[in-house]
Amino acid sequence: MRWKNVKLIFWREVRDQLRDRRTLFMVAVLPLLLYPLLGLSFMQMSQFLREHPSRVRVLGVGALPSDPPLLQGQRFTADVCPEGEQRLFELAVDDQEGTPARGVDLGQQARRDIHAGRYDVLVYVPEDFADRLEQARQELARSRVGDSQEADSSAPRTTLPEPLIYSNSANDRSRIAGHRVERVLLRWRDAIVRQNLRASHIPESATKPFQVVEADVSEEVSRRAALWSKVLPFVAFVWALTGAFYPAVDLCAGEKERGTLETLLCSPALRSEIVWGKLLTTMVFSMATALLNLACIATTGALFVRQLEQTAGMSSLQIGVPPVWALGWLLLALIPLTALFSALSLAIASFARSSREGQYYLMPLLMVCLPLMVLPLIPSVELDMGTSIVPLTGVMLLMRALIEGQYAEAVVFFPPVALVTCGCCWLAIRWAIDQFNNESVLFRESERWDLQHVLVRMVRQRGDTPTVGQAVFCGVLLLFARFFAPFILGGVPETWSGFALSTAFMQVGMIAIPAVLLTFVLTRSPVATLLLRKPSLGAVLGAAMLALSMTPVGFALGNVIRQLYPLGPEVLNELTRLDAVLEQAPGTWAVVGLLAVLPAICEELAFRGFILSGLRHSGRPWFAIVLSSFFFGAVHSILQQSIATFLVGIVIAFLAVRTRSLFTTMVFHVVYNASALLLSLNYPTVLARNPGLGKVLIETPYGIEFQPTVAVASSALAAILLIWFNNLPAPALPDEILRQALDEAPRTPAARS
Amino acid sequence: MIHVHQLTKAYSDLKLGERLALAGISFDALPGQIYGLLGPNGAGKTTALRILSTLLRPTSGTATVNGFDVVMHPAEVRQQIGFVSTNTAVYDRMTAWEMVEYFGRLNGFEGEKLRASMESIFARLKMGEIRDVLGAKMSTGMKQKVSIARALVHDPPVLIFDEATVGLDVLVARSLLATVQQLRDLGKCVVLSTHIMSEAERLCDRIAIMHRGQFLAEGTLGELRERYGEQVLEELFFRLISQREDELCAGKTSS
Repeated sequence: MRWKNVKLIFWREVRDQLRDRRTLFMVAVLPLLLYPLLGLSFMQMSQFLREHPSRVRVLGVGALPSDPPLLQGQRFTADVCPEGEQRLFELAVDDQEGTPARGVDLGQQARRDIHAGRYDVLVYVPEDFADRLEQARQELARSRVGDSQEADSSAPRTTLPEPLIYSNSANDRSRIAGHRVERVLLRWRDAIVRQNLRASHIPESATKPFQVVEADVSEEVSRRAALWSKVLPFVAFVWALTGAFYPAVDLCAGEKERGTLETLLCSPALRSEIVWGKLLTTMVFSMATALLNLACIATTGALFVRQLEQTAGMSSLQIGVPPVWALGWLLLALIPLTALFSALSLAIASFARSSREGQYYLMPLLMVCLPLMVLPLIPSVELDMGTSIVPLTGVMLLMRALIEGQYAEAVVFFPPVALVTCGCCWLAIRWAIDQFNNESVLFRESERWDLQHVLVRMVRQRGDTPTVGQAVFCGVLLLFARFFAPFILGGVPETWSGFALSTAFMQVGMIAIPAVLLTFVLTRSPVATLLLRKPSLGAVLGAAMLALSMTPVGFALGNVIRQLYPLGPEVLNELTRLDAVLEQAPGTWAVVGLLAVLPAICEELAFRGFILSGLRHSGRPWFAIVLSSFFFGAVHSILQQSIATFLVGIVIAFLAVRTRSLFTTMVFHVVYNASALLLSLNYPTVLARNPGLGKVLIETPYGIEFQPTVAVASSALAAILLIWFNNLPAPALPDEILRQALDEAPRTPAARS
Repeated sequence: MIHVHQLTKAYSDLKLGERLALAGISFDALPGQIYGLLGPNGAGKTTALRILSTLLRPTSGTATVNGFDVVMHPAEVRQQIGFVSTNTAVYDRMTAWEMVEYFGRLNGFEGEKLRASMESIFARLKMGEIRDVLGAKMSTGMKQKVSIARALVHDPPVLIFDEATVGLDVLVARSLLATVQQLRDLGKCVVLSTHIMSEAERLCDRIAIMHRGQFLAEGTLGELRERYGEQVLEELFFRLISQREDELCAGKTSS
């Protein structure tokens, strides 16, 4: 790739976008107008809401005690409702006796009346309220006069009838009215309590023996940081995504529509140079959108808060400007994220034939990204190893930690977050470049979609090996099968025969058979697809040796993973049950056969057979290796196992590519699984039978492990074997040769004769 | 200069299945020669020229441009060609000068060399007036001139014109054809596609008559006239197309 061309394309695209009024409006003008307008509207709305009075009907006024009074004419008394709140109520006081007509259900009546808009809330005072209150007071007085030792037994026995507030929580006005009335009635109750205390000659302080005092030790800047650490990343990232999409649509679908994309494609610029140029342009506009929006939100917000503080006296808001370092961290995080959003937007927008069609694709992108950005806003979600490897979520949580000044935590989780984010960026950029190399995407014509025709074409025009899409379909199908398997099979069976049956059903029925069926339906050559090629003896022996030499590394890796992601109690319980079931096995041979040989055959047919063969049509062998291993890892339901199998899957897929034979990978798989099983199953018995193993194995809190010297020596042997496999003659596939040619920069333009 | 051998291009259509846009065409075009692809709409002319300009990849067969394979060395091929088509538009938000300069730089031209080349082309194509006009403000003829300037700026040995006169008025079309002739006289290898008989008759040194992805006839104008006993190219064209359509109809009926 020539950066000179990338720079040239980048500057042209930037200039082009700056000359486009729509882009300028979206990036610069809209935020300038939007937030002041929103702020103004909100101010107006909030004023309107504050001044809206609640209509309250009070039923049973005659039952109210005269002291302390609740009502004074058609309003609450000033003691229970301060002057400032009086305007919030419009009372409709019912002068009748408090008894509702016989047979009338007050709840239903209130619901009907609130729905009809007659009032917002109904307050019902029971008919004997005042009498019973007085009775309770007298009982209280008697208890004071009597023997203090009998105080407990002579406590008031009268149960006070409760005034009822009928409100409709499904109706906002009614709900708010209910809260307002409740506040007034509680003040009235406090007044009665004070009277009672006075009558009983008890000081008011007896009901409040102590005060709870809260002291916030945080600094003002930290409080601001805590607030902004949640708000800033979310706002910035959402705007970065939106800001990337519109330029991307213009740079891909817009150019297709205007016919200028073909002009550019027939220039000597490589597709990768074109994508990088457009990607950098999109990044610039994405970042500019995010920063401008942040600046506008901050300015409008500051003015808005100041106005609130001045007009409504809400001095407790204390929302100041975000700390400078918060903006610095945000700026840093925006670089990889705008790259990710820009690459995704470019890849997706390249599907569209027109700008209008391109706009439709924004929604699916938002549907994928928004949940990942909303997740960190949930208070219980914290930065840990699990969340740090979730794309976007990890970055947002890391940002939160950095803005809040928790650097020690941030340093620990920076590597996984950076690794995942950079990995996603790389994949998204590769996807965008592949889209620009794909003529069926660039020159796509409208076609009427028909499932029957699609299926017929899939079968009639099948190739020797599956396509990339069919391989991905197979992978997703197996994941679905794995997801639904527990619902069909239930948990770990109690008996060995049940366990053997369910494992066989899982491996054969849900992994091998779908893959083999797809091979026969969708491909012309099962031999080529499933790599049913006789391997050399050296390759088979090499695979077995590699599996053995990788076993110590595998054990160490497993322990590291369990250290990072401890097994949950449910998983540990399942594993204990599994151990109990395995003890019922007729012999070690049965366990090895079921958990080493059978998976080796079934999983190899699916993951290194159908899926890897299909993915190799992408022209990128390492992409095929990694993605097939991802499916291989994901199909193992326990996270810790998935990570380990993903990494081992990469080695097995590499063997498949180098030896072009599934038998080699099956040998590796059998030996690797069997050695792990034989050592970890009932370790004390194994050690008793083979005391020599005690010199090479050690026990750790996470499981057994090989001595470091053994692990290092076997790793060295594994590395040598991998180099040997890498040097085996394995001709590249036509797609891989083509991809290499497409990625190559032109040499000197001298003509060939 | 251009060597095409048994070139095929298949498109997959959901309803019709595999559809051959090119069914094994072969030809050679030499420097100082105008090679014409003459055919009705849907004959496969644009597909063939898109393959030569590396925008599409052939399903089978080979094509080399100045010694570079279109599949294995696409970037080198694009350096050897200037491609003008109805689908290669000009940027609305760039002036004529900016656009030609941009493509000159993408082709590795810089500084004085680029400036001299651009001055020469702008003078030759009489583009002085539209030098600072944005693409959006240009007429169809002006845009076509900019497209030609863009294709010529790096002085490529091969020029490909796909239906280049479509939508142009008589004066602009005439001027364009004169430019094509000049390029041939400068020793360039020119391949053009058209469905206008007079253009082919006037310009082309060799003509291939295309129909449904196949060559029905190929040769110099004189050879074709002699072979089919027909002096007027338009009549010759209709006769060959009609014959082929009849054969296809007969084939369908008998099957």
